[in-house]
Amino acid sequence: MLARRSALASFKPIRSAAVSLGEMRNFTLTQVAVFSHDAEAAIAAVTGPLPASASLAQESNGRIIFRNAPLQFWLIGPEGDDIGPRLAGSCIVTPLSHSRTRIFVEGTAAREIMRKGMPLDFHEAVFTPGMFAVTGLHHTPVLVHCLAPDRFELYAMRTFAANIWEWLADAALEFTA
Amino acid sequence: MTSFRRLPTAGHVDLATPVNFTFDGKNYRGFAGDTLASALLANDVTLVGRSFKYHRPRGFMSAGVEEANGLFTLGTGARTEPNIPGTMVDLVEGLTARSQNAWPSVAFDVMAVNQLAAPLFQSGFYYKTFMGPTKGSWMFFEPFIRKAAGLGEATRDFDPDRYETRYDFCDVLVIGSGASGLAAALAAGKSGARVVLVEQDTALGGGLLSEPGLAGWRADRLAELKRLTNVKALTHTTAQGLYDDNQVVLVERRDHLKPAPEKGQSRQVLTMLQTKAIVFATGAIERPMVFSNNDRPGVMLASALRSYLNRFGVVPDQRAVIATNNDTAYATAFDLAAAGVTVFVADHRQTVSADLLAEAARLKVIVYADTGVADVGGRGRLHQVVLTGAHAATISCDVLGVSGGWSPAVHITSHNGIKPIYDERIAAFVPGGFAKTHFGAGAVMGTFGVKAAIGDGSAAGAKAAAVAGFTAEAAALPAPSVEDRAYAIQPVWMPPLTGKGKAFVDLQNDVTAKDIKNAHQEGYQSVEHLKRYTTLGMGTDQGKTSNINALAAMAGLRDVPLTQAGTTTFRPPYTGLALGAIAGRTIKKHFRPTRLSPLNDWHQANGATFIEAGLWMRAWYYDWAGKSPAEAYVREMEVVRRGVGISDVSTLGKIDVQGPDAAEFLNRVYVNGFAKLPIGKARYGVMLNDDGIVLDDGTTTRLSETQFYLTTTTAQAGEVMSWLEYLLQMHWPELKVHVTSLTDEWGGMAISGPKSREALELAFPGVDVSNTGLPYMGCKEIEFQGAPVRLLRLSFSGELAYEVHLPADYSIALWEHFMQTGAQLGIKPYGLEALASLRIEKGHVAGLELDHRNTLNDLGLGKMAAANKDFVGKQLLMREDVQSPDRWSLVGLELLEPAKSLRGGAILFAADDEIKGHGRGYITSVTWSTELKKTIALALYKGGLKHVGEEIVCAFPLKNELTRARIVSPHFIDPKGERLNA
Repeated sequence: MLARRSALASFKPIRSAAVSLGEMRNFTLTQVAVFSHDAEAAIAAVTGPLPASASLAQESNGRIIFRNAPLQFWLIGPEGDDIGPRLAGSCIVTPLSHSRTRIFVEGTAAREIMRKGMPLDFHEAVFTPGMFAVTGLHHTPVLVHCLAPDRFELYAMRTFAANIWEWLADAALEFTA
Repeated sequence: MTSFRRLPTAGHVDLATPVNFTFDGKNYRGFAGDTLASALLANDVTLVGRSFKYHRPRGFMSAGVEEANGLFTLGTGARTEPNIPGTMVDLVEGLTARSQNAWPSVAFDVMAVNQLAAPLFQSGFYYKTFMGPTKGSWMFFEPFIRKAAGLGEATRDFDPDRYETRYDFCDVLVIGSGASGLAAALAAGKSGARVVLVEQDTALGGGLLSEPGLAGWRADRLAELKRLTNVKALTHTTAQGLYDDNQVVLVERRDHLKPAPEKGQSRQVLTMLQTKAIVFATGAIERPMVFSNNDRPGVMLASALRSYLNRFGVVPDQRAVIATNNDTAYATAFDLAAAGVTVFVADHRQTVSADLLAEAARLKVIVYADTGVADVGGRGRLHQVVLTGAHAATISCDVLGVSGGWSPAVHITSHNGIKPIYDERIAAFVPGGFAKTHFGAGAVMGTFGVKAAIGDGSAAGAKAAAVAGFTAEAAALPAPSVEDRAYAIQPVWMPPLTGKGKAFVDLQNDVTAKDIKNAHQEGYQSVEHLKRYTTLGMGTDQGKTSNINALAAMAGLRDVPLTQAGTTTFRPPYTGLALGAIAGRTIKKHFRPTRLSPLNDWHQANGATFIEAGLWMRAWYYDWAGKSPAEAYVREMEVVRRGVGISDVSTLGKIDVQGPDAAEFLNRVYVNGFAKLPIGKARYGVMLNDDGIVLDDGTTTRLSETQFYLTTTTAQAGEVMSWLEYLLQMHWPELKVHVTSLTDEWGGMAISGPKSREALELAFPGVDVSNTGLPYMGCKEIEFQGAPVRLLRLSFSGELAYEVHLPADYSIALWEHFMQTGAQLGIKPYGLEALASLRIEKGHVAGLELDHRNTLNDLGLGKMAAANKDFVGKQLLMREDVQSPDRWSLVGLELLEPAKSLRGGAILFAADDEIKGHGRGYITSVTWSTELKKTIALALYKGGLKHVGEEIVCAFPLKNELTRARIVSPHFIDPKGERLNA
């Protein structure tokens, strides 16, 4: 097997009492798309229920599913997930596992760090676990997903990932110094 | 003579906690809870600065944000920050403050000699005097003038501190924490709304902090607020600006935490707050009076004296005069008297209400009705006040407190464009109206009584919560133990000036009553013109105390009502802020994002020097080839021309085009045909904007009947992606096509040179990459060690070459595999400089030629356009001008003077042209040709290739160079393509 090297291979996780930053590796990101809402049923038949909302992720058969664009979904599964080949032919399938670097920010300071970069309401009662948004961070597109009251995962573009990591580390400095 | 002392009990100051600080190098002691201003006054330091233009001695005139005189330079070295009002600075241990605009000292200022020539320095003096005699006179004199006048001076060192920007949201924002603000926050907070209460002062309470009788009420309300977890109260935070859709910019100062912040701590934090509703409880600012020498240290706003007394325990030593035209100043007089100060009140009004007179009598305050101030005596310290009117007299005293009435702090209420309006009832401007989600409360609305302000605030807070979607009631708050009295004022805008001294309207900008008269005489009568001509209302205080007196003076001179004079336009920021707060952390390497190839780590570890290419950091050249780009790229080119090189092309835009209509879609996008492109084949394509101008080029490979792998130039990747999405969504929604950027998903490397096929054979044993197995413009998808790999036979260099694409994380492993298996062939990496130079030799256009101004014909690509189909841009491509044979079009150039250089951007002229103007074209790209052993270039030249063989002149005015060159074909090597087809 060719060795994989992450965009953040040269960065170390950051941990403090208030916040932890690290990378989530070993996942499969499969983008699937259709041309009508009726066609979504073909996807759901394989994946299980799809999210109805464009802001709430759906956990289905061990995968996280985002409805991240009209008639389009991101399926986040374990490494080696064969959902793409299984769906081929019933929808447009585009493997994107290498295109995004998955960074988690966790801890009591996580929401404040999010507030520094994204114009979203990160109040505990507003951006609740399960919610996600496609937004911008440091001029680059990211998908931000809330998994727990104090945990977020960011899907950053791989080519910007090192820069996003450095930006997050700098934003977290008041909680990690 | 002006003198202050500290009382044994000191309001909100903790006398048990001393704080040491320095002012102009001298050590002083204040206490926790002091501001720099209160601590200096308590130390009897009354002369703290020199004025802007005349270098007149100045002391504090206020106790708040409106301070015009007491500006300081704080900190030392790189942390030096000028023009900070001492009234807004928390005293912290080790604080270092310096006076401004004075040398060698604030007490003895050499430039005070300006005062002797003061009659000359009226508004407009500098411009009128120094514009001549020659054209450059102003440029000559300006540095001297600026050195002689001004405020503090910023450091030239890089600011070592950290600033933060952030976003936040709330339902109700309450600006100001006085009685009305607290009431509003409570009313809104009790509804369950998320409330943000901002206070620019160092503590919550606004005017309540100076009201000892309301201390208990304030404490109770703060305790209530603290229990509401949905209310966030921020001190040291100024609402600096109001923008569209209820976005408010807040700036929080954290300077008070420590003079030198710890690692990661920010000095100031800028919050872009999105709120559903706003309560403006911004209060009001007391107005000074205009009379002779009204700027002397010791002349202060009456409310400031009260604040220093009740909040900080600082009082004039023995005697005070209070001059007023309204009732509010009596509170100061009575409090001072109760503190043991002998007080005189000069009331401009003929009649003073009986209850005030009775209280004055009880406290032995002497009241002179129908009496004003003509002049004051003393320079560095005031020592007497000359009264005029019914009780003309000279009274020796420590301070003169003045109250010309109150101006509601309307500034931020008008940032959205609603001008304030004049309210005769209170002789002041009030908000001119509100958006439906905005509410005003308290003094900003002209409600000057505390009880009324509380009612105002409760109602406004409830309404704000309601429009934010909450059920709210105006909270029935416990009544404070004071009674409101009607606000009684008789405006005194510009009394007859009987004294001989200067009578200042704008203390910070040294604008006098006489300056306003001059402006009027010279025709600068609009308030906006008055401001620009005299500088009135400019500076750090932005005319908070001067504006209305000036407007009234101008209205009087024009003989129009004040309502017609209007106000100047209030714009953000409300108070001064560090530029760092605006920049936040968007500095240095975080100034903009940086984009890295998946091969970046290999380049870093293997001697690459990098260069910025847009947002990308790309390997420019490698140290195996040389220590300078000039040396290295030539060796790297040699490797590609003679052997085999490997280069990172991951930055190319890569787009997945899928769907049953994908072929039809691309056939419409590209000028050449893609509908019948066979599976497994690539095709070079050019796409146009809808104006017929070339947008981009690249190769697109058909992977299946319904899937294409499209590549773009590095520079246009984002634009092409957006363009394709736009076309699908807006023009052809009926086409069943999805496009997805794969630029981050797939890495890419070019294997180039006559030995490149051998390199592939060594790297992928058993894969047929022969000329038949993988012909030119062919594609082969393979799996290699578990990774999907796309082999594309493409050439940018003009040599036999391949591009190898694979999922990004595998890129380094495969690159290293190529380096290992290709070692026997002498494979070497080559960087961007060589990559770009090789394509110039081949005559391939790239970003420098695809500059959104050229047509297909301009670039020699006209024959690609298919006549038998429609494509984007086709119609406008037929425009007469676009078809003109005289357009600047692509040519090659050969340098004819080897001792000289061709330079990118050089302007081209025919041999017998006059070297002037825009010429006949310009050079786009230049390189040394390793093949031809000469400098060559690509250029755009009027008439293009019909001039082949002609000698031209390349002018480079920046270096005053003229260089001869010959126009040739842009295909310098292998024009028949034999190498790449080998």
